[in-house]
Amino acid sequence: MNLQEFKEKLFQLGGQNGFTDMELYYEREEKFACELFKGEIDSYDTSEVFGTSFRGLYEGKMGYAFTEKLDEESLSFLIENAKENSQFIENEVQEEIFAGSEKYEAGNYYSSSLAGVTIAEKINLLKEIEKHIYAYDERVTGTDYFMLRSVETERVLLNSKGLNLSEKNNHTGIYVSVIVKQGDQVKNGEYSKFTRDFSILNPEEIARHAVEEALSQLNARSAESKNYPVLLRNDAAGALLQTYIPVFSAENTQKGQSALKGKTGESIAVASLNIVDDPFLEEGLLSSNFDSEGVATARKDIVKDGRLITLMHNRKTAQKDGVESTGNAYKASYKGALTVAPTNLYVNPTDQSYDELVSSLSEGIIITELSGLHSGANTVSGDFSIAANGYYVKDGKVQNAVNQMTIAGNFYELLNNIEAIGSDLEFSLGFMATGYIGSPSLLIRELAVTVE
Amino acid sequence: MLSQTVIQDVITAALATGGDFAEVFVEDRFTNNLALQGGKIESSLSGRDYGIGIRVFKGLQSVYAYTTDGSKEGLLKAAGNAAQAISGEKIIQPAQLQKEIIPAAHHISLNPREVEKLRKVDVMKKAYEIAKNYHSSIQQVTVRYFDEEQNVLIANSEGKFVEDRRVRSRLAIQSIAAEGNQMQPGFYGPGAHKGFEFMENMNLEHYANEASRIAVTMLGADPCPSGKLPVIIDNEFGGVIFHEACGHGLEATSVAKENSVFANRIGEKVASDVVTYIDDGTIANEWGSITIDDEGEKARKNVLIENGILKGYLIDKFGGRRMGMESTGSGRRQSYRFAPTSRMTNTYIANGKSTPEEIVSNTEYGIYTKYMGGGQVNTTTGDYNFAVMEAYLVKNGKIGKPLKGATLIGNGPKTLQLVDMVGNNLDHGAGMCGSQSGSIPVNVGQPMIRVSEMTVGGTKGGE
Repeated sequence: MNLQEFKEKLFQLGGQNGFTDMELYYEREEKFACELFKGEIDSYDTSEVFGTSFRGLYEGKMGYAFTEKLDEESLSFLIENAKENSQFIENEVQEEIFAGSEKYEAGNYYSSSLAGVTIAEKINLLKEIEKHIYAYDERVTGTDYFMLRSVETERVLLNSKGLNLSEKNNHTGIYVSVIVKQGDQVKNGEYSKFTRDFSILNPEEIARHAVEEALSQLNARSAESKNYPVLLRNDAAGALLQTYIPVFSAENTQKGQSALKGKTGESIAVASLNIVDDPFLEEGLLSSNFDSEGVATARKDIVKDGRLITLMHNRKTAQKDGVESTGNAYKASYKGALTVAPTNLYVNPTDQSYDELVSSLSEGIIITELSGLHSGANTVSGDFSIAANGYYVKDGKVQNAVNQMTIAGNFYELLNNIEAIGSDLEFSLGFMATGYIGSPSLLIRELAVTVE
Repeated sequence: MLSQTVIQDVITAALATGGDFAEVFVEDRFTNNLALQGGKIESSLSGRDYGIGIRVFKGLQSVYAYTTDGSKEGLLKAAGNAAQAISGEKIIQPAQLQKEIIPAAHHISLNPREVEKLRKVDVMKKAYEIAKNYHSSIQQVTVRYFDEEQNVLIANSEGKFVEDRRVRSRLAIQSIAAEGNQMQPGFYGPGAHKGFEFMENMNLEHYANEASRIAVTMLGADPCPSGKLPVIIDNEFGGVIFHEACGHGLEATSVAKENSVFANRIGEKVASDVVTYIDDGTIANEWGSITIDDEGEKARKNVLIENGILKGYLIDKFGGRRMGMESTGSGRRQSYRFAPTSRMTNTYIANGKSTPEEIVSNTEYGIYTKYMGGGQVNTTTGDYNFAVMEAYLVKNGKIGKPLKGATLIGNGPKTLQLVDMVGNNLDHGAGMCGSQSGSIPVNVGQPMIRVSEMTVGGTKGGE
């Protein structure tokens, strides 16, 4: 059964079963991923999948169900389960099927030239990068992983109020972790790059980034465990921000899971901090003209001059707070329930370079990598104690890599302890991430550092 | 799910360009996810996942294609896409598929698909009431309910044709205690390879109370000191430390390419004498248990480390090729969207001889961790980290005041050498483990153990 036919049969069956308003959300994804290991193709994945999710109002309550199979059995499966699911929903605010926004931007986030890049060209790029990786330094012994992944997504939203929206999006990413050995020391360095413009992927540069990152971890020494000024390098700052982004969601303030409840309009950070959510960034991987509820997306300041301007809302959270949706309704996939998430969200850069920030430190620690963020960071209290890698700085110069560390602090306090913001804005699509998050390097006045 | 003839054709098509092995994995999965917040059901989601994964090997090259299109044309197209990655002449004729009936190793009494959702809601509400009423400082309780029935069919060019039904249920309770600006979470998430009987027979009172007790206790806790200290890790979910510090490093994924610190070390002493580490997918109805793995191999009990000596690895078919070793029944994947790779099932430290009381009374000064949070490991360096959900200071052989915000960091191989006491109260805890082949249910387990020295990172700074 094709989508149109499935939708018509489904809405008809829904109507017969007492559903008033109905929506069908459809997602199709084509993916290609390839891993290279010492000149050989180690894995090669290709896929084409789709799925649909149905939601509908039954006796004034919204019921959900999804399926990956468009057949007769799925029609009755969706209707029966959505109906049963709607019956014990007890939200104070009832969800509605949305008739549509007045106007939608017409941004195009699908590159046909990227779509035209052949598999052979992609594999060649990997081979080129790998050559440079092994040629760069004799201490390189291998890679943990080294892959290219191209993703193409199509979203369609159809509802019984006449809304019919669709959009296509694509990007390619390179992910590499290089292993270096020196004596009995083994270290690795990770680097990833995402783009919609294949021509900017420079093999030499990607190899250099990854190998330099690994080499810089060699000859690590211990350091005194104490409070230090900490420079969170752009990628580490982005990873921390990624972890704490949920505190800017109205869904979390309403559930008592964010300390930003009731803080809209108030100062929550140093005056130099500006955070923007921009769904129209040309190179943004999560750029989009409509959100998962069909609401038109919009560029917005989340934090301006240190003041919290708005939380992120979908229609349900907006109704609860008596405001308008900010176009941040989100579904992790067609399978997920509706929630709230950023699009392309970033900290505004300033004009201080990373090198200037390093030289401003008389003594301090640079953090280049954070790990265990999913478990070591408490998004409710803001407390974090996270494993980290990085360097020791003395008199404005990087002295040496430091053994595994933990950095501990509190996110809400950290926002008020940002001493300087760099110019080196870098975006990343985190692991299990929601949102395409960017940050420049951030200099933090003080964090507790424990060194192994 | 799909006919034997169609699958035979798909396997033949996948081998057209010179592959030496092909496999088809068909999945039809029904799930229910319910969430309750503040006493009210906030979301209830039912779904059906359906798709097919086709894998082809040629020597040390592996190709994977997957699709939601189950028509013969769709499958042949996916098989063609996979075959396209290999260039050559057809070299083998696939064996005739032979249907093999493998009896389910884990008995399910009440399939959740046949249980009214209202009964599931009742369990959640009961858990909510218990957790909420534990203490006046409990501000927020979230209860999540999950069940699934996953039907799989696995066939390959060696003639294998098997089917399996996996039914799992899990309840997760999160309590948040608050006072002034302070908020602390507590969590308990029991799960099993069982149907709805798991919910009906579980000690709900205990789990819901524990989630709230942890939150309330941590609300009144002092910041954890940092430094190098002896650490006592309690049983059950405490085993997450070895899951991170050692389990991942024993998977073929990192051993086959010799990236793991444990590569090429079978027969060597890698841990202190008191450490025996086992992965056992056959334990009846445990959360991480399986009848067959996702490559159709029967689950088994694999001894990984015995009295400190490295005995074996966790191996999938493809990892086994590079290593020249047989599969250990460890090929697992989240769904048809992932090629399987070597993964854990129920992994645990075996019982030792000490009683928990002996371990505590023999510790002059250190940290006692009652419940662990999650963690992560870099399998290349062996460096791991994990968060502690509930910790206490140990002083003069006695458990003292509670501590919050503790993180443990260290190096897996070093920590294994530093385990100096192992208790006799083995228990298992349920978790989800994320890696290359997606997120899968696993158990971690251990009796109480002591590590003579670990790096503790706390918010309080050095002592």
